[in-house]
Amino acid sequence: MRILLAEDEKEMSNALVAILKHNNYSVDAVYNGVDALDYGLSDNYDVIILDIMMPKMNGLEVLKRLREEAVHTPILMLTAKTQIEDRIQGLDMGADDYLSKPFAMGELLARVRAMSRRKSEFTPNLIVAGNISLNKETYELSNQVSALRLGNKEFQMLEMLMSNPKRMISTEQFMERIWGYEAEAEISVVWVYISYLRKKLASLDANIRIKASRGIGYSLEEDV
Amino acid sequence: MLQSRYNIEYEALSSEQEFYKEAYVLLEGAIIEVISRLDIIRKYRTMQHSKDPIEHCKARIKTAESMKEKLKRKNLPVTVQSALTHVYDAAGIRIITTFIDDIYWIVGMLHNQQDIRVIEEKDYIHNPKSNGYRSYHMILQVPLHLEDRVTSVFCELQIRTIAMDCWASLEHRLKYKKDIPNQEVIVGELKRCSDEIASTDLNFQAIWDMIEKIDQD
Repeated sequence: MRILLAEDEKEMSNALVAILKHNNYSVDAVYNGVDALDYGLSDNYDVIILDIMMPKMNGLEVLKRLREEAVHTPILMLTAKTQIEDRIQGLDMGADDYLSKPFAMGELLARVRAMSRRKSEFTPNLIVAGNISLNKETYELSNQVSALRLGNKEFQMLEMLMSNPKRMISTEQFMERIWGYEAEAEISVVWVYISYLRKKLASLDANIRIKASRGIGYSLEEDV
Repeated sequence: MLQSRYNIEYEALSSEQEFYKEAYVLLEGAIIEVISRLDIIRKYRTMQHSKDPIEHCKARIKTAESMKEKLKRKNLPVTVQSALTHVYDAAGIRIITTFIDDIYWIVGMLHNQQDIRVIEEKDYIHNPKSNGYRSYHMILQVPLHLEDRVTSVFCELQIRTIAMDCWASLEHRLKYKKDIPNQEVIVGELKRCSDEIASTDLNFQAIWDMIEKIDQD
């Protein structure tokens, strides 16, 4: 888990970095709002901890800009002020939680853990269907004991099926979404890729399968 | 006549003979026995299906040196007797197939051999090792007919596809190299390669099935 910590008080920051690292997080520390925005935009973090009072750009502005740029990383606001307005504004701008200084370290760690739990729900990197999961980051199709790495087109095809279980997807829809309007690709290529995927699901002892309806398309069904 | 490709290496035989003595003949006999059964059935199948499921076989008898080492490691007496009764891989055969389904065909065929006992099986294809190793392992107890009695010898089989074998030889090299920089990265990359190869292996099987029109859609 990688955390971005934006806090301008050096001593405070050093202490937080030490404690977070001790708790097995990777931490990048920045000391002003502009750097916080730059680092945050890389979208490389699981959690961002943002102080409100910072030089160059305040935390609320950083928060606003990150959300405008579609960075959905969970953000925890730290504030010296305890004014209710700050909290309301922060939460409304897209912060996920806040903590007012001074705080207990145990509480900060618990809030970080709580936020990282939530993250997996709204940006799922893992699509799960039956006993099978598909990892969108690594293209891995796996069960409990084994994993297979899918090729690009196989992956996209299964992603469509697994994201829309039981929904019929036509051969034309696969062609359009995955192959685009490449003149070269023949429509039978869809069936070839379906065959690949079926082999792979079977080899993983999957309890989901790709059902074909002649002339209509394919859908993902779970065995009962 | 057995084909020459099944010849067992007699390299440094003297030291092996010194340790194994007459038992060497038994180990060699077990290998010849298993390979000859495979040979008959695969030829039969090739006639029927015009496709040989086996690419090639390799056999080896564990060197006296590594056998002694293994016995010591397992706190067993360093004798031929314990090499034959407590260690299962004194005789070893590696069978390389073209497709994944061929592996299971061979497994089934060996189960059907009435006088060969399957002692142990490990399916590292459905349950790959954490490093990505894929293969099907079997320990067989093979009967050998001697002058005045029938005895039995253990034989270890490793059955895998060409692609799995290719991966295993690369991984094998890594094991013997120490102090490789970025070891973790390399181990991770090898695992990823194995998962990619496994994926391709299944595509090969799917394409073969299409050609054979086994797959009815």
